[in-house]
Formats: sequence, C-alpha cells, structure tokens
Amino acid sequence: MNQILTYNAPTVFKRLNGIVKLLKPALKRVSHVKNAFLFNVCKDLNALNVRPPRQILLESGGAQNVVLRKVNDLSDHILAVGPRYQIKDIKCSVVNHLGEHTSGVLILGLNRCTKNANKLRKQRFIRTFHVKGLLGTSTENFFWDSRITCKSRFSHVTEDRFDSIVSSLQASHQRSMYDLCGVDIRSHAGYELASKGIIRPEINDQPLIYGIKIIEFKPPNFTLEIHVINENEEFLAMLVHDIAIELKSVAHCNGISCIRYGPFHIDNSLINRHWSLSGAVHSMNHCKNVLDINMNVND
Amino acid sequence: MMKLNRQFVRSITSKSKRIILSQDKDKVPQYEGKASPLNKKRVYGWGFQETGALGIQTNVKKAQERYTQTVNFPTRLKFSENCEVEDVCAGYGFSLFSVTRSDGETLFATGINTDSQLGYHGTLDVIIYPTVVQLPRKPEETPEDLKVRCMGAGRAHAVVVTKNGTIFTLGNNSYGQCGRTVIKDEVYKGSHIVHRIEKGTFTEEGDDVVAVECGQDHTMFLTEKGKVYSCGWGADGQTGRGHYLNSSEIMEVKGDIKDEKIVKLACSSDCVLALNDNGEVFGWGNSEYGQLDDTEHAPPQLNTPKTLEVTRGRGKIKDIASGGSFCMILNEEGLVYTWGYGILGFGPFVQQTAKPEQLLPPLFGRNDFSNKTEVVSIGCGVFHMGAINSDGDLFMWGKNRFSCLGLGHKKDQFFPFKTAVNAKVEKVGFGVDHTIALCKSFI
Repeated sequence: MNQILTYNAPTVFKRLNGIVKLLKPALKRVSHVKNAFLFNVCKDLNALNVRPPRQILLESGGAQNVVLRKVNDLSDHILAVGPRYQIKDIKCSVVNHLGEHTSGVLILGLNRCTKNANKLRKQRFIRTFHVKGLLGTSTENFFWDSRITCKSRFSHVTEDRFDSIVSSLQASHQRSMYDLCGVDIRSHAGYELASKGIIRPEINDQPLIYGIKIIEFKPPNFTLEIHVINENEEFLAMLVHDIAIELKSVAHCNGISCIRYGPFHIDNSLINRHWSLSGAVHSMNHCKNVLDINMNVND
Repeated sequence: MMKLNRQFVRSITSKSKRIILSQDKDKVPQYEGKASPLNKKRVYGWGFQETGALGIQTNVKKAQERYTQTVNFPTRLKFSENCEVEDVCAGYGFSLFSVTRSDGETLFATGINTDSQLGYHGTLDVIIYPTVVQLPRKPEETPEDLKVRCMGAGRAHAVVVTKNGTIFTLGNNSYGQCGRTVIKDEVYKGSHIVHRIEKGTFTEEGDDVVAVECGQDHTMFLTEKGKVYSCGWGADGQTGRGHYLNSSEIMEVKGDIKDEKIVKLACSSDCVLALNDNGEVFGWGNSEYGQLDDTEHAPPQLNTPKTLEVTRGRGKIKDIASGGSFCMILNEEGLVYTWGYGILGFGPFVQQTAKPEQLLPPLFGRNDFSNKTEVVSIGCGVFHMGAINSDGDLFMWGKNRFSCLGLGHKKDQFFPFKTAVNAKVEKVGFGVDHTIALCKSFI
C-alpha cells in the first residue's frame, strides 16, 4: 500500500475500504458500537478539508444587464444539508455478531470491503472465548444481571473434577461432529474424515465445541477457554450452568470475551478511545496484513 | 453531578433492574450438592442383555422381553451403586465382579450358568442380576484372604485367584480347562464343584500367580517371576506346550519365552500373545490369518511360543491384545497398531494386513485442542477391539454383535469411535457379545 499524506477528506474517504477490528465492550450492543465508531470516523472526516459547497451561476443584474456570477449554492452548504460525512454514507457490515454481554473482537467491513466481510462470515471461523463463571449461585438468564434462582455450596468442586467433566464434554462434542458433517461414518470417506481430526460441519445452526479447557480455577471463580462454532452467548452461559450442575453445584456466567475470531486475535484491536479515523486506518492496515498472511480472501 | 444522579435514578427505576434489586436474597433456596467419594467405582454395561450378563434387569419376565434383548448405550449397573466393585471380567455371556463388602463375600457373577461357571444356583440356566458366588472356604481363611487378586472367564469356565494365592476354577472341564482331571460324561449343569488349587501346586518355590487369562477353552496363568503355565484345549496349539492335545494338567509353557520375564498375556479365543519386560512380543496358537507368521508355507498353528518378528521396529511395546482373527499392540508413544483379518479400524475397504499398521492418533481423540492425548491401554473381544485414552475415553470398533460397541446401533463400526460412557473408563471386560466397563465418576 503506497502511503500518502493528505488532508483532503474525499481522498481519505475514497481509501476508507477495509476490514477493521474493534474491541467491543460488554453491555453495549453491536449496533451501538458500530454507530459510535462510525460517528467518530465521520467527525474526523468532517474535520479535514471537506468539499466546499457547489457553485452556481447567478444572474444578478436582470435581463437587461446580464452579468453571470459564480456563487456558493446555499442548498449545498453544510449548514443547510448537515455535515459532509454522515454515518449513513459509510457502508459497514458486521462479520461476527457478538451478544450484548460479550466483549471482545468485533470485525467490521467498511465501504467496498463489505463484500469481503460477507466472505469472511461465510468462512465460519472457529471462535475462541474466555468465559468466566461464578460458582455458588445460579440466575434466571444465566448471566450476572438477573435474579438469583438458587444457591449452593461448592467446596466439593476441585480442579481435577472440573477438568474431567470438561474433557468428556469436549470428547462428546467432537464425536457429534461426525453426525453433523453429513458423511456416512460407515463409508471410506467417513474414515478419511475421522483420521484428519477436526472437521468443520456444513450445518450452521447447531453449536459445536471443538475444545474446552479450564484455564483458571480459584473457587468460586473460574475461567473456561472454549473453541466453538455456531455459538451464541446464551449457549455459552447455559454451558457454564450445565457444567456446574454436572458438578453437583450451580453457577452463572460472570463475563464472556471473544479473544479470537479465526485469524483475528484480540491483540491490536481498537479500544474505545481509538475509535477514530486514524485508528480505523491503522486497523485496516493491520487486518490486511493478517488476511494476507492467513488466506486469500482479500481481493 | 446532576446528570450522574439522573442516570442513577433511571437505572434503579427501570422495571427490570427494580425486580433484581428488590429480590430478597436470603430467601433463595440453598441446594446441597453431594459428590460421590473419590475412590468410588462405577460399572457400565452394554450389549446382549438376554443372557443376563449385564445384570441390569431385576424382573425375570421383563428380561425375556424382546425390547430388552440388547442394551444399545452404556448403562450404569445399579449393582455397582450398592456394592464396591473393584474388578470386572466378561466371559462368553456372563460377567464376574470382584467386590468389597461388609459381609465378607468377594465374588459376584451374573449371566449364563449352564455349566455352573457361576457356581451352584439350583437349576437356573440364566442369572439376571449379580449373585454371590460361594468360594469354598477353609475355616482359617478370612474374607481378606479370599479377596480377588485376578480373574478370567472363558467360553464356559471361570477362574479366580484370591489374595492368598489359591486358585478356584468353576464351570466346564471337558478339555481340562479347569485344571482338574477330565471326567467322561460329567454333568456340569447344577454342579456343586468348585475346584480349588492351593498356592504353590504347580509354581516354583516363592513364585505366585499374579494374572490369569482365559481363551475360549483354555486357561493360562502368569506368575510374579514371569513364567507362564497353561492347561485346557490345545487343538490349535493355544496351550503352547509343543503338542496339539488337550491337557488337564497345569504345566509351564516353554519355547521362546522360557528365559523371558513375561509381564502380560492376551487371548480372547485361540491366538495368544505374550509381552515381556523389554517390550517384545511372543505368540502361539492359531495363526490361520497370518497373525503370528505371514511368510509363505507358514504353519496355520503354532504349538510353541515364538518371537513375533512382525512387531519389531515399532518401539517398545506397552500393551497387547488379540482377538479371533487379529492382533493389536500399543507402544510406549501411545500409538496403536493392528494386523490380521477382519475389521481392523482402517475403514471398510481394509480387510487384511500382514504387517502391523498404525491407526492414526486423531482417531483416538488427539487434535489441536487436546494434543497430549494418547492411548494408554487396549483390549479385544473376539470380533471387536477397544482402546482407552489418557482422558479416560473409550474408543471401540469392529463387529457390532448385539450392539456390543455401545454406539447406539447394531451396525459395524469401521474405525475407532468414542463410546458414550459418562465416566472415566479404567478397565474394560470384552465379552463375546457384551461389554462391561469399570469406571471412575467425574465428580
């Protein structure tokens, strides 16, 4: 990418095509994050040298004394039509829809890269989540912000027991991959698939856990690392709830963060205060490098 | 300040938040979770139920119903909840359980009893729920002495070795597999005979039996010093004593294993594998499918133990298993090799290999997300195989007679597939049409 230095807003806008990687905070909806980001980008664009109002020819002296003058078209003035760049001018498509309670990597495609974003979405990458849980209380919607339904003691829950439950869950889910992949397991193709290891099934409505392990256990707090596909945040929260019930206790989900979406890691994603034009440009370059290294989705 | 205050007021006055804040948390019910003791074992069973070998039904009439004929999924045995089961063993249509109980009984059994292989239970042909097997006890023997050290089960006989070194054999003795003189036209049904072999009857001074392995109709004993003794049916040379005759006398197996320290024996029908402490494999018995020797003009039977050349160059062998027509080995790196004839685990097309071929680790649960998983032990039925990995998952493949693979259906499985046992599998008893697994609960 050749670099240019410019203060000309239309030039910048023309080059504002790419994938950006934001850090979505928890308890903010994706649409809010998207709006906030685009609002800031527009604000920065408008602060550059924007296009002056269109000029029109005006006859000032009447029919006898024809003098044409160029004047600014007031109907095109920013005071009349609003700022030059507005949120609706930037095309934006979201690659991964994170739930409201989830924080973490949010991938957006801007302007001409919305097509690429759709391609990325169809690739159905494996996502990695860090799910925090709190033993001892269960809640109505399995998250922290609702009514408590049950309490329980958890002194019998040890890391070993936790580990074995979680590994059996992983093995069962990996087994169910074969049911979802649509290949007859009695055929030779089934054998060849199985000896490859991980399969990504074609069905996209059933959550499938590839890997799950416990990375932190300090009762009552624990953190699970989950590699999953086709998930939503309710599924992950319910998973915490179900694991706790297997452990003869109860728990609720205390925080979810998406730390990886396929090739996009949470590192270098734009935090709240970098949601700006310069941040967007930096992130675009970064994501382009990531994609160049990992695959050929960049046209 | 004003703005903050307004936000705060709004947040507590929204209905959803108000409901949460107004909840009286002291009134929330307290759930008392109860975990099972750490060393408590569970037993799961699946496969053919009509023989009663699973010990799942308690109602005779229901046990004979058509819909209860097979158990397709691993099912927890209620017996193991009431008793502390320490070891399991599966024969041809019957199962043995070694237990610890306060009343001093140590051996329970369920299944077919047509040859009194489960001891005397009147004229019952089938026992559907684990029942105590009375071992004849000398007055000075305590329940601790009669605790089971190891046991084996064949087609219609069972062998139990107790902690004090005494060997008890039950069931059919028509080929001398019980280690007692063959009586012509003996009636085995409803027989009271439990043959008792005292410690040191056939072993050397200071040597003791540590493992027993039953084939179809023969019995082999492995001692602490690594010697192997055998008796029973020898038509395929499976007794390994240099002849093809039946023998009721328990005698040492010589040949290539004479000076070796054998640590494990494996046999499910008539092909025998033995493993020494250096990780070398020996074999004898039936070799019809070229399991033991695949060279041209190789004899179809071997009556003396022979070093298996085919297993060389595959690392130090850790575990062995042999089925009716195939063999399996597991090396120190946790890699599984199979060879022979039948469903070997390489898909539906591979029916026979002469050399041990490796089954790829991803089939046993190793992948990017669990890259340290490896197979820790293997086993064989007559027509099917199984492997346990380090996570305690059981993988099974082969002929699925009466759904003995526990996959939920009766179709054959052509590559290792995880059996849905809801516990960590520790030991598996492979019967001919049923499977018994000794497991540890997760919690």
